[in-house]
Amino acid sequence: MQITVFQAALIALFYYLAQSPWLMGMGYWTLYRPLIGGTVVGIILGNPAQGAIIGATINLLYLGFISAGGSLPGDPALAGYVGTALAIGSGIDVNAALALAVPIGLLGSLIWFGRMTLDAIFVHWADRYAEEGNTSGVAFANIVPPQILLFVICFVPAFIATLYGPSAVKGAIDFLGAKVFHILMVVGGMLPALGIAMNFRAIGRGQTLPFFFLGFLLFVYLKISVIGIAAFAVVFAFVYMQLHKGGVKSGA
Amino acid sequence: MAPERKKLTYWDLLKSWVLWTFFSHSCYNYERLQALGFAHSMVPIIRRLYTTKEQISAALKRHLVFFNTEPNVGDVIHGITAAMEEERANDQPITDEAINSVKTGLMGPLAGIGDTLTQGTVTPILLALGIGLAKDGNLFGPLVYILLEAAVIWGVGYFMFFQGYKMGRTAVERLLEGGLVKDLITGAGIVGATVIGALTASFVNLTTPITITVGQQVVKLQADFFDKIMPQLLPLGLTLGVWWLLSKRKSPIAIMGYLVLVGVVGSLLKVF
Repeated sequence: MQITVFQAALIALFYYLAQSPWLMGMGYWTLYRPLIGGTVVGIILGNPAQGAIIGATINLLYLGFISAGGSLPGDPALAGYVGTALAIGSGIDVNAALALAVPIGLLGSLIWFGRMTLDAIFVHWADRYAEEGNTSGVAFANIVPPQILLFVICFVPAFIATLYGPSAVKGAIDFLGAKVFHILMVVGGMLPALGIAMNFRAIGRGQTLPFFFLGFLLFVYLKISVIGIAAFAVVFAFVYMQLHKGGVKSGA
Repeated sequence: MAPERKKLTYWDLLKSWVLWTFFSHSCYNYERLQALGFAHSMVPIIRRLYTTKEQISAALKRHLVFFNTEPNVGDVIHGITAAMEEERANDQPITDEAINSVKTGLMGPLAGIGDTLTQGTVTPILLALGIGLAKDGNLFGPLVYILLEAAVIWGVGYFMFFQGYKMGRTAVERLLEGGLVKDLITGAGIVGATVIGALTASFVNLTTPITITVGQQVVKLQADFFDKIMPQLLPLGLTLGVWWLLSKRKSPIAIMGYLVLVGVVGSLLKVF
C-alpha cells in the first residue's frame, strides 16, 4: 500500500510522543514499546490487527530492554514505528519485518546519542536561571528547548523513512528475489532468542533456571496460554517463597 | 514570638511528584543526567519553603547537580529530600552536604532495585501477556498492557514518593537492607523466568528442512527426530546458547551479528 504524507506525519508524531514527557512519563512505558507502536501504526494505516501482530513480534527483540544510566542498545521505538510502517507499506511477512527492524533500531541509537549530548546545553541555561532565583526559568529550561530539539530529531528521520522507505524495501526485495526473503524469515525467527535471553539474564539469579524450563514445558506439552502460565507462575512464586522462608527458619 | 513553622501541603508534594513523573527525562543528558528534572520537581517545594531570592537561588543550585536513578522506585529520594528541605527551612541544622549525600547515597542502590523491578521484571511480564494476545491480532493485547503498566508504574511512583516524605531517610535505608525487597525481587524473578520460558517456546522459530536417506527410508530430521525428542527443541537450544554467550560477557550487538551470520549462512546451505 502507498503511505500518504499525512499518515507518515502522524506516525512520526507518535514516534516523537513515545520519547516525549507529555503522557505523564507514560510514553516510555507504553508508546515506546513496539507492541504499542506497531498497533498505533496499524491503526493509522487502516490495519490494526496486522500492526499489533508485527509490533508484538518486533517487541520480542526488545523484551529485555533496559535503559540504564542513559545507555541504550538500540531504539525499540524507532524499530517499532518505522519497522511496522515498512512492513505494512511493502507487504512483507512478520518475521522479515523483525529482521528489517533490527538495523532501524540500531540507527535509532544515533537519535538518542544526539539528544543526550545536545541536552547538556540547556542544563547550563538552567544554571543561569538558578543564579537569578528564577524557578519558572528552570522549569522552562527543562521543558521547552529540549522538547523542540527532540521533536526535530525524532520527527524528521521517522517521517522520511516512513514516507520513502516502503517503496525502497519493496524494490530491494523484488530485485533480490525469494531467496533473500527466506533468509530474512530465518533470521527474524532466531532474533527473539536474543531479547528473551537478555531479559532472562537481567532477572536470572541462578535459582530461576528451573522455572524457565517449567514455563517452556507448560507451553509445549500442555499448550497453556502465556496468561495462564503467568497465573501458574504467581502461584509457584508464592509456594517457593513460603518453602524458602521455612528453610531459613529451621536452619537458624 | 517564634516564627510560624513552614509546612509543605499535600498539594505541594503532589505537584512535585507530578512534575517529576512528567519531566524527569525531559532534558536527559550525558553531563548531569536527571539533574534538571530533579531541580524542576523541587520547584513547588522551594516556592512554598523559601522567600528570599538568595534562598531560592541556593536551593535551585543545590538540586541542579548530577542525579540519576530509576524514576518510579527512586522517587522515594524526592520524598525524603522534600522532608529535609522542610526541616532546613525551619532552621534545623541540615547542610547542603547532608541533602546531597542522601541523594547520591540512595540513587545508585535504588536505580539497581528499581531497574530490576520495573524495566527488568514487571514490564517484560506485562509485555509478554500483551504480546501473547496480540500475536493473533487481538487488540486487547496492547490495551491490557497499557492499563496494567500505567497502574503499576504510577502506583509505585506515587507510593514511593509519599513513603519517602513520611518515613524519612533512616527508615528507607533500613527497609532497603531488610528482606522484603530481596523477597520481592526473587518472587518477581520466578514469575518472569516462567513467562520467558513460555515465550521461548511460542516465539522463537527455528526448524530444519534436512532429510537423511537411509536405504529406502527417508528421515525428516525435524519431524522424525527433533520433534520426537521435544517440540521446539531447536528454539530452546538457541535461546540457551545466546544466554550462555551473554553470561560469557559477549556484547548483545556482537551476538546479534552472530545470529544474522548463522541465519544467512544456514539458509544458503539449506540447513534452515
